[in-house]
Amino acid sequence: MARQEQLSGYDQRMFALMNRREGVPLYRTAGRRRAVVGVHVVLTAAFVAAWLGTVVGELAWTGWAMLGLLLPWCVATGAINGATRGLLELRPRALDERQRAERDRVRAKAHQIMGWVLLAAVLVTGIAGFSGLAAKALVFQVAVCALVLHWLLPLWVAGLAARDEPDADE
Amino acid sequence: MVRAERKVSRQTLAAAVGVHYQTIGYIERGQYNPSLDLALKVAEYFGLPVEALFSLEPFQPLTDQVYGHGRDQ
Repeated sequence: MARQEQLSGYDQRMFALMNRREGVPLYRTAGRRRAVVGVHVVLTAAFVAAWLGTVVGELAWTGWAMLGLLLPWCVATGAINGATRGLLELRPRALDERQRAERDRVRAKAHQIMGWVLLAAVLVTGIAGFSGLAAKALVFQVAVCALVLHWLLPLWVAGLAARDEPDADE
Repeated sequence: MVRAERKVSRQTLAAAVGVHYQTIGYIERGQYNPSLDLALKVAEYFGLPVEALFSLEPFQPLTDQVYGHGRDQ
């Protein structure tokens, strides 16, 4: 690729990593990509719950659960990154004009969804507070969930927005 | 399609014009409209005017152009 003359060694290694073909069977079709994103969402939720169980609940076994979840979570993350060809992992100079436009679209969509999620969180916690529930005790948990969602929502949107590969070269 | 006619792979063309090979595939499938800059680079690569490669209207199949099919319609 002509652009690679301007890429650093790190960029080139990341570009090669994000364009590896081993994981293609995992995300070849739209249905499989949806399944991978769904699994990633479930694993993330379980991981966050386990982490909160360790930190807030002071449960010992949740630490082991986190360790068990880490590997499948990394595999699912790699599959989504492979499906998007590193849309969110590569630096802009390693992406072409279509990919940069796609990345902007993905971030805008994730930002829009995140706005609705935060609105829902504000409404739910507000109603809970006015109803006399001890909502203050959940502030940390809600903040952690919001942070994780803010971090990973673009990845999930990108995974769902990824399109099928063009047909094999003639 | 000019690229297939000239026996140029997507990877070769993509490397020559500095884009991902998937981008060439999406342009060919009509799923992405290239910038003027990219369109000019592709045209330069093939040594053709840009309007020979890109058009607002879908191109007629080459067989129609050569044999005149569909002119009666």
